[in-house]
Amino acid sequence: MQSLIEIKNLKHSYIDTDGNEIHALNGVSLDIYKGEFIAVIGANGSGKSTLARHLNALLLPTEGKCVVAGMDTADDKNLWNIRQHVGMVFQNPDNQIVAAIVEEDVAFGPENIGVPPAEIRTRVDNALAAVGMTEYAKHAPHLLSGGQKQRVAIAGVLALEPDCIVLDEPTAMLDPRGRIEIVNTVKKLNREKNITVVYITHYMEEAMQADRIIAMEHGVIKMHGRPEEIFTKVKELHALGLETPLAAQAAFDLRQKGIKLADGIISNEELTEELCR
Amino acid sequence: MLTDITLGQYYPGSSVIHGLDPRAKILATLLFIAAIFFAESMLSYGVLALFVAAVILLSRLPVLMVLRSVKPLWIIILLTLFIHAFTGEGSNVLYQYGFFRLTEEGLIMGIKMSLRLVFLLLISSILTFTTSPIVLTDGIESLLRPFKCIGVPAHELAMMMTIALRFIPTLIEETDRIIKAQTARGADFDSGSLLQRAKNMLPILIPLFISAFRRADELAIAMEARCYRGGEGRTRMHELVYKTGDFIALAIIVLLIAVLAVMRWGLGL
Repeated sequence: MQSLIEIKNLKHSYIDTDGNEIHALNGVSLDIYKGEFIAVIGANGSGKSTLARHLNALLLPTEGKCVVAGMDTADDKNLWNIRQHVGMVFQNPDNQIVAAIVEEDVAFGPENIGVPPAEIRTRVDNALAAVGMTEYAKHAPHLLSGGQKQRVAIAGVLALEPDCIVLDEPTAMLDPRGRIEIVNTVKKLNREKNITVVYITHYMEEAMQADRIIAMEHGVIKMHGRPEEIFTKVKELHALGLETPLAAQAAFDLRQKGIKLADGIISNEELTEELCR
Repeated sequence: MLTDITLGQYYPGSSVIHGLDPRAKILATLLFIAAIFFAESMLSYGVLALFVAAVILLSRLPVLMVLRSVKPLWIIILLTLFIHAFTGEGSNVLYQYGFFRLTEEGLIMGIKMSLRLVFLLLISSILTFTTSPIVLTDGIESLLRPFKCIGVPAHELAMMMTIALRFIPTLIEETDRIIKAQTARGADFDSGSLLQRAKNMLPILIPLFISAFRRADELAIAMEARCYRGGEGRTRMHELVYKTGDFIALAIIVLLIAVLAVMRWGLGL
């Protein structure tokens, strides 16, 4: 597979308000491939948001390199091109919607890069259809539910026609229903439109949907692998201050009690099937 | 409690006036305000009144709702009427009580001045009744764009208005939440002297400001992530286009000014 984003020994440090030097990233190396769905997990302050913000040059490396589609993020003249390739969705849906009408907000990105009006129209219609918000095109954002607002935010990024979408804890402020809406939307975009997804989350059930999981702590990658590899290492996950999905935890506890179960059980379906066998 | 306010006073509709280009409407409103000052005789005020009535009918807005827009300023209108009526120079005294002297000339002057205010209020509220704040912003941006070379930040002003329109409901919701949170902590907003009550507002204002700044910060990052870099090289999804109707509307206003000017200086009416 061809890699879309190459991160080499990325370090990032900054001075906080008290004058202390904070090392948010301490040498992260990672290749993100075209069309994959990658989840990043880690406790608060593990550096996952900082990593995400390097992917579209909102932050620049203190040391090391981040190359997006062959463009170095440290090079100023690549900036806007990189941001068209890599879109970003943030945690708070309210604070990333600019316009007072849904379709105007989705049009904001393409307007910024000077797309002709007729093409903006088609891009907006396509983006709203892709997230299932077509019927709300003329609505005011503040009247929508959290999940709907976040879908509008995703549509706003889609309208820029990016190769990759980075979502920084997009479900942290949503109710369970909103969370399901977002995960399903993101999965659909990944499968159907082959958009690369980098999904940062606290919810292990969401991370389970990914092709690959990165677990971070203190600015470095501690674990890296497919979901069934990560979530069966229950003790390591706990050491990072992370939970395991319920089924993986149950399987682990049952094994501790001496009940023999097959390896790699992480989802409820797999556990049910194994127990009923 | 705070959440049920409507933003602006836009009254959706599909009348001729609603369909006009916002730039044409803003220009027409400004021209009409100029026209008001061309009126001199009672007859020309009659022409203005007919014109305003025609616009109200054409806009198909509820007439009472439009008339009610005069209400917030009724004290000023009455004051204008009385000051002119009792201080106007004139020989034809209608009524006298000590120092106060009501003259016919003063009364007529007062009526004319108050009518000017009423017309001005009516026409400008028809503008805001028939144009949504968002479209109005587009219109203002487009009208100000030629003045960019002399340093008028047209795009920036419009972007500020857009963001303000977007965030007013959000901040109102937030205020509501803060009031409830502070009430739950025993804050009292309803008793004490005026000064005391003003002081009691601080626990609402401070969290609100902090949160507004935090939101502004996050929004700025989100806008940058979506390639926002100011007005340079920006296109719009909805481009404003003048249609025949817009030119006709402007022509009618110019005609109105011409008629009033001819009445005043040409015919001496």
